[in-house]
Amino acid sequence: MSIAYDQTLDVKGAKCPMPLVKSRKAVNELPVGQVLKVIATDRGSVADFQGWVKTARNVELLAQETVNEGGQELFVHYLKRTA
Amino acid sequence: MTITEGQTAVAAFTPAELYARILRDEPLFILDVRNEEEFRRSPIEGRANLTTVNIPYFEFIEDEDGAAARVPAGREILVVCAREGSSQYVAGVLQERGYRARYLEGGYVSWGNFYDVRDVVTADWGRIVQIARPARGDLSFAVISGGKAALIDPMRHTQVYRDVVAEAGATLTHIFDTHVHADHISGGPALAQETGATYYVHAYDAIHPIDVLPAVIAYTHVQEGDRFEIGAVTITARWFPGHTLGQVNYRLDAPDGRSALFTGDGIFLRSFGRPDLGGKGEAWTPILYRSITERLPRMADDDTLILPAHFSTLDEGDANGVFAAPFAEVRATNDALRPRDEAEFTSYVLSHLPVFPPEYVEIKRVNIGLVTPCDGAANELELGKNICALSNA
Repeated sequence: MSIAYDQTLDVKGAKCPMPLVKSRKAVNELPVGQVLKVIATDRGSVADFQGWVKTARNVELLAQETVNEGGQELFVHYLKRTA
Repeated sequence: MTITEGQTAVAAFTPAELYARILRDEPLFILDVRNEEEFRRSPIEGRANLTTVNIPYFEFIEDEDGAAARVPAGREILVVCAREGSSQYVAGVLQERGYRARYLEGGYVSWGNFYDVRDVVTADWGRIVQIARPARGDLSFAVISGGKAALIDPMRHTQVYRDVVAEAGATLTHIFDTHVHADHISGGPALAQETGATYYVHAYDAIHPIDVLPAVIAYTHVQEGDRFEIGAVTITARWFPGHTLGQVNYRLDAPDGRSALFTGDGIFLRSFGRPDLGGKGEAWTPILYRSITERLPRMADDDTLILPAHFSTLDEGDANGVFAAPFAEVRATNDALRPRDEAEFTSYVLSHLPVFPPEYVEIKRVNIGLVTPCDGAANELELGKNICALSNA
């Protein structure tokens, strides 16, 4: 998947709720219109990010993908700050 | 609230405490902070006085004050999430605002894997012990007599069973599965390997009904009429096909004249086992009909204690969480067993079939050794309550 992004947030190893807490913070610091790529190892983040953006003020979930990196599953989320 | 990793400011509660309070039907308020999908799939269920509300934890992250305002003040709040971290965070948010809030230790995973052990029968010949997994509505049993022990339908966490047998000072000799389960992973084959006891299951169930592939686990075929001595009691296998082709009920006869029937997913206290989980509902429904109408009356007396492998709601059990009733009572109160002709029975079955959980096909593969999941995958497969019974709705 080739989604253009501006910044990257690595939350590998972080357990719920930290991937989302850190993403919220990073989005707050992101200029409006920019895209953040979040890389997580917490499988639960996939459904949680989908639920989160439904209620979040200024975040759009552009895409999600699962990639295998050296036997480790990575859950990647592309978040856009909309306002 | 400032979020830091490894915070420990708020107090926890254990699955055992939760279950004890649910059984006493205390007024409880559970705030489930998992996402809506997970909450719908596996809510914590109780009795009349349990209130459960779902506010996902990310709504607290978005707006702590707004989300907290939706939680009732002035009562204890039990916060639950998938694995503990988020409920710890939300309980902290609430505590800062003056709530009495605690979080579930280990999250829903630990509730799903919580076992409750209690005696069903104690007599001078020995005991029948019920080993339940309340979150799943799964029941299993130990029969202990004369220094010997047998297990019926043991589940995945084998140490629980080894502890029950060891505390009784007994030796495990027989492990009986009533059938190859679709809703949960059996502990039978693993217990046989760990202890040297023999694992019994009917050979018809050792073929995956959808893959049509044979089991690669070690098992001993059990068939109609096979008898086993466990100390002073006799256990007799009674074939009851329908839920699966190899479903077997086990009848216990004690020296004092008491009897019990471990019915697996044959019949339950308020329903019976659905005949469609092998993907052959139309072919298996007439077989189930004959099992219920012709075989069952020959294997249970009026006072035979019916001990099934599942419950659907907690009120099927007594105040102590024991799920057992004499056959005469089950016959009188179980609407699913009401006399019907075959056509009525078939339409009753068809109109009461719940959804077919897709993971049930995979769980059967696990139970005959075709695939071996890790612990995390096993927890995922077993998430939520069993749907092995026809619905009562």
